[in-house]
Amino acid sequence: MSTTYQPGDVEPISGSYVHTEVEGVNHRIYFEENGPEDGIPLLCQHTAGNNCQEWRHLLTDEQITEEFRVIAHDLPYHGKSVPPTTQKWWTDDYTMTAEKFTETLVNLADALELEDPIYMGSSMGGNIALELADWYPERFRALIGLECGAHSPGFYIDWLDHPEVNTTEVNAYSCWGLMAPQSPEQTKRETMYLYEQGATGVFKGDLYYYSVDHDYRDKLDQVNADECPLYIANGEYDYLTTPEDGRQTAAGIGEGATAIELAEIGHFPMSEHPELFNAYIREILADITGDRDEELPDVLEPDDVGIELHQRGPAREKPAE
Amino acid sequence: MNDTELGTHEWWESYKETVNSDPEMKVRGHDKFSENFYVEIGDERVLLEMDGGEIKQLVPNPTMNNQWSFGVEGDREAWEEFVQETPPAFNHEIIASHYRTAVRNEDGHLQLTGNNKKIFQHLRAFQRTLDLMRVAHNDGGS
Repeated sequence: MSTTYQPGDVEPISGSYVHTEVEGVNHRIYFEENGPEDGIPLLCQHTAGNNCQEWRHLLTDEQITEEFRVIAHDLPYHGKSVPPTTQKWWTDDYTMTAEKFTETLVNLADALELEDPIYMGSSMGGNIALELADWYPERFRALIGLECGAHSPGFYIDWLDHPEVNTTEVNAYSCWGLMAPQSPEQTKRETMYLYEQGATGVFKGDLYYYSVDHDYRDKLDQVNADECPLYIANGEYDYLTTPEDGRQTAAGIGEGATAIELAEIGHFPMSEHPELFNAYIREILADITGDRDEELPDVLEPDDVGIELHQRGPAREKPAE
Repeated sequence: MNDTELGTHEWWESYKETVNSDPEMKVRGHDKFSENFYVEIGDERVLLEMDGGEIKQLVPNPTMNNQWSFGVEGDREAWEEFVQETPPAFNHEIIASHYRTAVRNEDGHLQLTGNNKKIFQHLRAFQRTLDLMRVAHNDGGS
């Protein structure tokens, strides 16, 4: 359960920097964490062009952080992970690839000495669960791909990095419809605010991986979910990787892969509707730790996890006659 | 739910009033949105002439004498879904709906036409203008 804080309260999240190599370059990576030192590590990956603040409500969920050491990082060039000081990075377009992404995650887990961690990521962080299960199944206890699919074409868009476009706002609001309309207005707007913090070209560069480099349509048999359990959990309102895409991906992988539809939520579940997401993810985490007796259902709905959706209040009244 | 049927003269007038009094259309540069665009509901096209983030004029059945930068087209059923207070997935926002049409080749969704550069230059103001169809249709909402 998330806590409501009062003036003077200090949240239990702590932030640090760890150094790790990616493609032979030393990177200073920022991460936040909460939970017991000996808790099960839960490494959380943000979405394309965003940063670890997307996970702030999971990081303060008392129920989850009682058992899990929740860790959320900023990828290099994102959030507080500034570009490497040894490189003339301004002479290159930033581009993310599957190889670079997986190397970053595995080296980060090594640098933090995470023992048998659970990996969880959304969107590009969800898709990369397939590469992790393909190339590094031995490194993780389980993988949770939120908004994950074998292929997610069509979002590598030139206008997201164009001098005649207000990319600060466009990089955010091109994602507005990825959220469910019934998610709370405040948390949807905060998700957009986080998107507006990205550096020039980084969102588009991440989308190179998301929409171009990542294509497992003919390689699902290489995904080793039998070695490392893989959960694919896609939101009902995610139009890029739909719940049906998730089911087809899990079916193509076979043993060890489980698809769950998350009802009444979209592509940024952890930040667009934290209360509902945290309740949903507890069910999946309980399945990983063996604390859940029943099989996970095909669809998780708010009623299943004791969440009553807030009545949507009018954002404003119509003007008086 | 508003008693006025989507696309009638009364509906468009109510919608115009909603857009022109919307606080978000007056901030963050949205008050620079002066690109005309059309909305086509089934075979009925209405041109929205925009000026400074407000609808200056509604022009039914625009002709070659009018000018616009872009438009949105869809069958009436798709628009009826779009304006629901809690719309169903994929017809709940313009980029979502266009993506299912243009990238996934599905029927029953909306489609953008026209100048993509101008769409992205004014994306949020344009998107908000369309979302306000839902506000107007439901006597409030977001």
